[in-house]
Amino acid sequence: MLLSQNVSAVGPLNLYPMVHISLMFGISYVLPDFSDESCTLKMTLRNLQSILSWELKNHSIVPTHYTLWYTIMSKQEDMKLVVDCTNITRSFCDLTDVWVNMTEMYIPKVVGYRGNAALVSCMGSFFLTTDTLPLDPPEFEIVGFTDHISVNVKFQSVAPKILNEEELQFYLALIEEQSGGTVKKHKPQINGNITENFSYVIDKLIPKTNYCVSVYFEPKDPRKINRSPLKCTVFQPGWESESSESATIGGIITLFLIAAVIISTVMMLKRIGYICLRNDFPKVLNFYKLSVLVFPELPRLEEVATVEVIHINRKKKVWNYNYDDESDSDNEAAPRISAGGYTTHGLTGRLCPASVSSATLEDCSDPAAEEGDLPEPEADAEALTAPGPRPWQSECTSRGYQGRGNLLQDPFSEEDSSSTEGSGDRIVFNVDLNSVCVRALEDNDDSEVTPMLPSRPEETVVLEDPDETESNLLVASGEGTQLPFPGPSAECPWPEDAPSDKSDTSESDVDMRDGYVMR
Amino acid sequence: MSVDPDVIRKCMWPVCLMGLFVTGILSLDCNLLNVHLRRVTWHNLSLLSRMSKSFPIECLRESKAFELPQEILSDTQPLTRDIKEAFYEMSRQAFHIFIQDTFKSTWEEKHLRQVQIGLDQQLQYLEQCLEEEEEENEDMREMAEDEWTQSGAPVPQLSNLELRRYFNRIDRFLKDKKYSHCAWEIVRVEIRRCFYFFHKFTALLRRK
Repeated sequence: MLLSQNVSAVGPLNLYPMVHISLMFGISYVLPDFSDESCTLKMTLRNLQSILSWELKNHSIVPTHYTLWYTIMSKQEDMKLVVDCTNITRSFCDLTDVWVNMTEMYIPKVVGYRGNAALVSCMGSFFLTTDTLPLDPPEFEIVGFTDHISVNVKFQSVAPKILNEEELQFYLALIEEQSGGTVKKHKPQINGNITENFSYVIDKLIPKTNYCVSVYFEPKDPRKINRSPLKCTVFQPGWESESSESATIGGIITLFLIAAVIISTVMMLKRIGYICLRNDFPKVLNFYKLSVLVFPELPRLEEVATVEVIHINRKKKVWNYNYDDESDSDNEAAPRISAGGYTTHGLTGRLCPASVSSATLEDCSDPAAEEGDLPEPEADAEALTAPGPRPWQSECTSRGYQGRGNLLQDPFSEEDSSSTEGSGDRIVFNVDLNSVCVRALEDNDDSEVTPMLPSRPEETVVLEDPDETESNLLVASGEGTQLPFPGPSAECPWPEDAPSDKSDTSESDVDMRDGYVMR
Repeated sequence: MSVDPDVIRKCMWPVCLMGLFVTGILSLDCNLLNVHLRRVTWHNLSLLSRMSKSFPIECLRESKAFELPQEILSDTQPLTRDIKEAFYEMSRQAFHIFIQDTFKSTWEEKHLRQVQIGLDQQLQYLEQCLEEEEEENEDMREMAEDEWTQSGAPVPQLSNLELRRYFNRIDRFLKDKKYSHCAWEIVRVEIRRCFYFFHKFTALLRRK
């Protein structure tokens, strides 16, 4: 009743402040429980100590003292009061000995009071391994000497419990030097716990240069690096030559090593065939010679001798086994095939002493057909050189003639014997005189005029075509003083044992026996 | 397509060299397994921390004790292979949890993918090295097991069983909470704690 009268008496305007106050009172209780944005919590490792600090976002609210509680995530536990941080006026708390388990996630709660009234409350979560600010850098001093700079780092004697043996290895003191803008990191090896002072020497410095040093702990998260202020000193001169000499020597050694590596790599690649591939082509396929391309080498010309075959028709001579000296003046030249497979051809003619490549008997009469005498050699412009007065003086030597050609096996056996003397059918062909043996006709009448290719004396001569009435005389002449003769491989048996009436022909200057060419 | 035998012959030598180098590199990889595990585990741990800005305090009421089996790091001096097997079991179970497609908008997609990739990497490392070690030391392992059973010490596979139970509790918690936002946050914090626990475990591999 009284309340209703009061309300009616006050009126609606007086009701508003009461509602506002009651609402504010209610909110103030709500905020401490769920408000985590009223302050900012930070976890810092300062001098190897775990420090939890907080800062109010609303600076208009200034509590007189604070109290800290905490709990953990892994278990369902009530908030625990931090005894050392109860009713404190500072805005930070040392939890080095309280938060010792790095695997746990801690939930702190800070409540700000003014008197007995809680003005602000804030909570947070911290997983010390990842949510901790990096270590503050330790104190250090630098001392400059004539040849080096010494950095003395002072660690705190008290190591926090959270930094056990495993954790200490995560943090390393790095010293940087700044010289002309270049930064060089040094990673000193710290043996044991970080409890003692540590001294590190920096040498190999450039003289007359200002060097600055900074020390910091390297956290796991590279984004969180807390560097110390720089301390600088000027490196004193006096060891300039030594440093420059050492630098020069080092540079030379480095270049040498690089060159050795490159050379060994190239040699290895070449050896396995990756570079400088070898072409195992025969020399004849080597087309990379410019001279060959520009001036292709012509094949060596074969020295050939032009041989002109003069057909001489003769009567067929019947072999009557008459060994009379009366020799037919007709120089029969019938091809005989020796047992050795050589085809013998009787040649007649003369060597023309002209020094020309080809020989022709045009100008040479045909003595064999008529006289049986060897014709005198006559100079001919085209005749081969046949030095020597005796045309048929030939020696079966291997030096004289170098002509080559194809010896016709069946020269002209099929031709008619219509060739006349002195002219008529002439066939010029090239003869490889190294493959034939040519017998020279002798001047003596008693000698067998018929020039025959040397054959085995004991062998039976088989006429190639005994019915032929003509014989082909193969006149071969060539350069040199000797008549052509077959090569060393050809059998040029020397009919020494053959009884012959030609043994009297020793009058010739050359060693002629039975008219065969002597090698 | 026919290949010139000369080309094959010329390429045989560098291919053989490359094969030897690759084999050497792979063999070196398992020798540095503790380094890889330490690095990869820490990387996964950092990813889990960055997935969420801060733990929502309102989810604190729903937290649960999952009882991480810390006894596997007790002073029983487990063998190197047992440590590797424990690592493999932990990685496999954690990968199974984070591969579930029930996150929705709880975390950023890229962070989740990175965690999955990191766990997959860890699994590959361990599979390769465990296979190689099994081929090489099969006889020695049998002898070691006989010694364990004779001395009465716990069978090494007990740690794997405890780990399976641990992750089974986590999985059941998620299902009971119907994969809520708070449930995922609580699981994230718990698995991060497990990663750090195993990160310290790698120190045992280094010492051995």
